Amino acid sequence: MTATTRTALQIRVEAFTFHGETTPVLSGAAISATPGSLTAVLGGSGSGKSTLGKLMAGWLQTGHAGQFRGSLELDGTLLEFRGAPDDPRINPAEWSRRVAFVPQDASAMLSSVRATVAEELAFGLENRATPREDMLSAVERTAARTGLSDLLDRDPATLSGGELRRLAVGCAVIAEPDVLILDEPLASLDAAGAAQLEDLVRSLRGSGTGIVLLSQAADRLAREATHWTILDGRTVTAAGAPAQLAGSAELERAGVIGVGGPGVLGPRAIAPSVAIGSSVAAGVRGPGPVPVAAPGPGSASLELRGVGFGYGQDPRRRGAPVLARVLRDVDFAVHPGEIIAVTGPNGAGKSTLLRHFNGLLRPTEGDVRVCGRSIAGVPVGTVAASMGLLFQHPRDQLFERTVLREAAFGLGQLFGKAEAEGKARAALAAVGLSGTEAAHPAELSASQQRLLALATVLAREPAVLALDEPTVGLDRHGLEALQTAVVRAAARGAAVVIVTHDLSYARLNAHRVLELTGGRLSEI
Amino acid sequence: MKQRLHPFTALTAAASAAVVTTAAAYWPLSVAVALAAVFLAVRREVAGRVLPAAAVILTPLCLSLLVLHGLFFPEGQTVLAQWGPARVTAEGLGFALELGTRTTACVLAFLLFSFTVSVPDLVSALAGRRVPPQFGFVLASTLTLLPAVSVRLDRIRQAQETRGMVVRRGLVSRLGALRLQMVPLVLALIDDAGSRAQALDARGFGSPGPRTTYREVADPPAQRRFRAAALVFAAAAVAGRIVASWPAGVPS
Repeated sequence: MTATTRTALQIRVEAFTFHGETTPVLSGAAISATPGSLTAVLGGSGSGKSTLGKLMAGWLQTGHAGQFRGSLELDGTLLEFRGAPDDPRINPAEWSRRVAFVPQDASAMLSSVRATVAEELAFGLENRATPREDMLSAVERTAARTGLSDLLDRDPATLSGGELRRLAVGCAVIAEPDVLILDEPLASLDAAGAAQLEDLVRSLRGSGTGIVLLSQAADRLAREATHWTILDGRTVTAAGAPAQLAGSAELERAGVIGVGGPGVLGPRAIAPSVAIGSSVAAGVRGPGPVPVAAPGPGSASLELRGVGFGYGQDPRRRGAPVLARVLRDVDFAVHPGEIIAVTGPNGAGKSTLLRHFNGLLRPTEGDVRVCGRSIAGVPVGTVAASMGLLFQHPRDQLFERTVLREAAFGLGQLFGKAEAEGKARAALAAVGLSGTEAAHPAELSASQQRLLALATVLAREPAVLALDEPTVGLDRHGLEALQTAVVRAAARGAAVVIVTHDLSYARLNAHRVLELTGGRLSEI
Repeated sequence: MKQRLHPFTALTAAASAAVVTTAAAYWPLSVAVALAAVFLAVRREVAGRVLPAAAVILTPLCLSLLVLHGLFFPEGQTVLAQWGPARVTAEGLGFALELGTRTTACVLAFLLFSFTVSVPDLVSALAGRRVPPQFGFVLASTLTLLPAVSVRLDRIRQAQETRGMVVRRGLVSRLGALRLQMVPLVLALIDDAGSRAQALDARGFGSPGPRTTYREVADPPAQRRFRAAALVFAAAAVAGRIVASWPAGVPS
């Protein structure tokens, strides 16, 4: 099939409302994809990007999931939806041959019951009764395209984030769809992983696939787009060529993160009293990073002395090889008021290092000291009084009925009942979540959930704040809130360790940047 | 790679062992089958999982057999001890031993099968026999769900401990912690299931019609012959049993 005969997909959304809700989650939006084009839909967290993508891909069944008024046009066939019971029904299996979608959480794309990457790739073909010889060649071809050729025999559960994302894309494109919709494809990928995915997108476009990119960052990939659509407050606020929209007020308001050239992001609004850098955008390399007073001498808030660690033999699998050492002879100290960033590629052991700070993992050699005391043998929950650690997945941490209860959990024991609520409200305000106190945590957008998880850590006022990939999933408003909170915490004397794969963010926002490679930490 | 047993071969072997043991009703044979299962479990390095699982199932069962038949066996003649209505009879103990060893052998054989079978091979073999793929998926998910849930619970526990939750000894504290872990766990599982269902639909999983399989499971002729022989042997054992216990008075 040549590019000229490929179909275009068009969607027009008057309104889409989930069942049980009164206000539409998306309204007044129109997008089209033509063969070989790259269309970017940019918007902050909770702007309705994923809903739009799933509607285009037939993942949200109209009538089943919610009420859709609007139209979808594919290959000249127009489907009109009036939110009525006799609306056309989309067969997701048939639709996905033409329009494929890769969700934000790449692992959700996988069947989870296939033992190898090759079988996972073939899963969709099996269900369409593709002859085995054709499957073999399709798997080989798709693997070569997505850079998975060396991983075909691996268990999908053991893939890194970048590999998993490429597998999900592979599963989507193996049926050679006309249009591919990618939801936040670069989130949490390191530079190498992102570059591979960008190459893949270019090669797919080259072969005539129309790409729709849903993203909260106007990153390098988005800047290759032929057309931008900006979503804000669940509706389209601007659309046009990237050159027109870069630096526009609409992009600024939408909370889209900019990368690279000045003007992409536009002017910034951080509270001046706490602004330390010239920019808060992840990935922005601006002039004049972090001129906060360097911390003075004195005892370290967190100190690692000669820490070594290796994941030992899996006790359930005797005979399994002992895995490589993850940390070797790590010496490092953070002082009150200091902000340190630890970077390194995906899989370098950054999260493993972080788990040593509060005793979730115990070193095989060396010692970890928090506020001058060794934490050997001290329970994690006790170390937590001085060590606030924020994990990558906020959902795992949130369990209360309301945002305020969530932030106030356990504060009574630390500060007394009278003060607990005030501390909780202050922490929510510090991350920009004032006004959401009564909401259920699950109702918040992904960006806000992450900030809420941060607030629960901040509210405890720990001496050390350790944040694991805090920028992932945050839109620009979220990044600003994170930035403000980190600077405030450092100003009150907390030592802050930020683990991130984003080197430019690290350089811009930390006093010192350390790199973890080969299990060793070195200053860069 | 080591030559694996075809899943149906392992399943047939386990089922035949269970059928023959039951039909024979001869406790030395039951003990031998149980010991063979333990031996194979040790050799396949799954004894660490098979034995605890077997203990969980068998301990209460065998104890109740002992109490029920050991103490209250109406047909018992040889009374060894007696407390009121409870009589320990040799026949009762023998019956409990018979039933206990037989159940033990069956449970061990099937546990050995379920802990050693390669789930992807089994699913693929089932799909090859035109069993609906949904059945294979449910089977595979059931076997993969528990590990997935325990990994997830572990992550939630870590995240929550990090927020200062100290789980103390004692039931109340543990139950309280469990409640807090269940909320994120259930929400996450529901969320996962929802998005995975959409993805499965898009990948044609719900579509009717024929399917093909990518994974090839080797099924050597020797294993087919073994399966046929095992089935014949099991059928013969059942037939033998029926003939042997045909009510007295009916000429055989």
